[in-house]
Amino acid sequence: MGKVVSSSAQRESAQELINDIDSIKGVEAEVVERTNGTKTRNIVRIICKPENWRKLAKRLKKKHKIDYCSMITGIHWPEAGPEKNWELVYHFLRTGINDPPVIQGMVEPIISDPTKVQGNKIPLEIEVKIYLSETREPTIDSVQDIWIGADWNEKETWDLVGIGFAGHIGMRRVLQPHETPLGFHPLQKQHKLRYHDFEEMYDDAQGFQRKPQDTGKIK
Amino acid sequence: MAEMWISMGPQHPMTHGLWTLKVKVDGETVVDTEPDLGYIHRGVEKICESRDFTQITTYCDRLCYASANTWSHSYIYAVEDLLEVEVPERAEYIRLIAVELQRIASHLMWLGAYAPDIGNLTIMVWGLREREMMMDLLQELGGSRMHYNFPRVGGVKRDLPHGFAQRARAKVSLFLNRIQEYEALYDESTIFLIRTQGVGYSKPEEMVNHGVSGPNLRAGGVNYDVRQAHPYSVYHELDWEPPVERPSIKGADCYDRYRVRIEEMRTSANLILEALDRIPGGADTYHEPGDPMILGKSPSRAPEGTSGFHHFEDSRGESMFYIAGGGEGRGKQPYRVSIRSPIFITIPYAAKCMIGHKVADIPAIMGSFDPCIGETDR
Amino acid sequence: MVDDGQNYSVFNSRMLVDTVGNITDEALKATKIKDVIGVLVGRIFNWSQRKSLFPLHLGIKCCALEMAAAGASRFDAERFAVFFRSSPRQCDVLLVNGPITKKFADPIVRLWEQMPEPKWCIAMGECAISGGPYFQSYNVLEGVDTVIPVDVYIPGCPPRPEALIDGFDKLRQKIIRIGTLPNDSRPEAAKPIIIGDD
Repeated sequence: MGKVVSSSAQRESAQELINDIDSIKGVEAEVVERTNGTKTRNIVRIICKPENWRKLAKRLKKKHKIDYCSMITGIHWPEAGPEKNWELVYHFLRTGINDPPVIQGMVEPIISDPTKVQGNKIPLEIEVKIYLSETREPTIDSVQDIWIGADWNEKETWDLVGIGFAGHIGMRRVLQPHETPLGFHPLQKQHKLRYHDFEEMYDDAQGFQRKPQDTGKIK
Repeated sequence: MAEMWISMGPQHPMTHGLWTLKVKVDGETVVDTEPDLGYIHRGVEKICESRDFTQITTYCDRLCYASANTWSHSYIYAVEDLLEVEVPERAEYIRLIAVELQRIASHLMWLGAYAPDIGNLTIMVWGLREREMMMDLLQELGGSRMHYNFPRVGGVKRDLPHGFAQRARAKVSLFLNRIQEYEALYDESTIFLIRTQGVGYSKPEEMVNHGVSGPNLRAGGVNYDVRQAHPYSVYHELDWEPPVERPSIKGADCYDRYRVRIEEMRTSANLILEALDRIPGGADTYHEPGDPMILGKSPSRAPEGTSGFHHFEDSRGESMFYIAGGGEGRGKQPYRVSIRSPIFITIPYAAKCMIGHKVADIPAIMGSFDPCIGETDR
Repeated sequence: MVDDGQNYSVFNSRMLVDTVGNITDEALKATKIKDVIGVLVGRIFNWSQRKSLFPLHLGIKCCALEMAAAGASRFDAERFAVFFRSSPRQCDVLLVNGPITKKFADPIVRLWEQMPEPKWCIAMGECAISGGPYFQSYNVLEGVDTVIPVDVYIPGCPPRPEALIDGFDKLRQKIIRIGTLPNDSRPEAAKPIIIGDD
């Protein structure tokens, strides 16, 4: 009853994007259909090599009008092998938004009908995964100048995970205190939580299974 | 004229949360700003790596404490994407009712906190009074006044209690009448109009480039709503339109953002009333907790290599969870939970909007973007 | 005598003031009036302290919303003379309502030191008592009492506004017990009280 974007239109648009992206070297893309809850959605999943990232990013922004950088996630996989030690996942959205026009001195809000959007205005979800090999200081090219929304996301990823961004202007600690020692990135797997090894805290929080010191001793 | 940096430090009655905004002023005009976050950074993403999927819901409630339900539902949708779970339709309707009630409560908290910054202290009492009404309804659903821990993987924790539908209809209809009182108080107050109109301009394309979404974006005159663009839950079965506001020529100002939120409260109230009419199984039937009508079957382990994410329309914008499976306990715990907070991206943008205005406009602009620092600092 | 306009030349002599003060003091002590005045004034000060607690406008996390709800119209803490002030220099009570992270440990100690004596601290919510659900975090201190002396603990996550009002009530009873001495010279009887411990 309510108007929403139709799945088939999204799927076609996603397929168009993929056909174009596949021409870039080092990029593999596919459309994945996920069903969660009661609705299906079509996502574009791209796996990119770190060297081709900027080229792919510029193509996404200019040609396919992917204008919204949602989130940048950095993951540390110490046990996944030397090729996939660090993973970066970028999430983008295509919103299909333009500034509303000014008609006769008043701004006319754009009320677009979601069932009738076409071409580069169909909303899409895009996920880009980049794997970096095992190293002490992983680095990737920054996309701060392409999407301004990536700015603070990159700062946070460096702050918490430790992945550096080459070409990022004004990198600083954004969530941890400024005096945190350089090189401390808590989301790396070698840093454990406080009380991590206190298993009895989870297994037996109230102490019901605890027995006296001299249990089993013959008295 | 000498320029100097002033720090509107962490303890400040008008910053709506614990963060520092350093402003560089030239006389009374703001020349540069620098926000400083991280005063309540709890490391939730790290803690989640050693908790089961059901235990993390309690942490997600406490991310943005003003709108707890929207965050825990956002997380649960991402888990359901990861584990590929089917959710029964009645559970989706109950979730929709909980989320929209929470959206109204969150906007009321914003309303109650925004007006005292401008100088209108009456609205604080009125906004919190209405919020108590919504919190009563949420307390019936979830069990506590804040932090309900309401959704479960595959459904909800409990069905609508006996008599809830009748009380909800009465309270929400009463609230729809009361919104007119708020509008009257605000729109006829010259001081409020002077302080919020013409202040803090923002244009949609710029906002989208920065990553701003939600009511702040819809105030710019575009009807982008994640519930319509990337539909989830049962929003496609209800008859509604996201509220859009006609901005001024230079962009959306604080007054437009305020108007969008008032309209959003109306939209949410109408959504609740409609959902109560259309819920499958009727709003007056009660199913025991764990009944397949309200809780679907779900696996409890996510093997390595799987991942799930979900975009969700939070009261403040587009929130997102990305969960990578394959953690401890052979997949019972996530390997990495990554949280996208809309306000984390909006605060630098709001800080840019302040440049060029006077120091006295800072609370008006800051408050109109509705910051909630709990979700920013995670 | 300097003609400054501000100088009261009659009391220009500090020695004169000191001598008069000492003589009055000895006279009052001798006639035991000083004890009576001490007790009366102490009682009046104590009554006025506990009947007008000014907490600080500090909202850290979720418990701050319950603090706001306690001040709103349904629970109305203002009828108990709990009136929030924005500047720490004008406050009695520091109501800590959220987890203290490493970044905020320094500012909160500075806020505590800016508050004039006599002052009290209420730890509201689990995060302020012991770190709460975030006790394992790398950034959260395990309770605000690692940096500030706490007088009343209010458990709950978040505690209901009624519990907060009860917490202020327990603080009032504690003020009756321990008087209004500065923190350093409070007797051992000034142990912190935990709500729900009776």
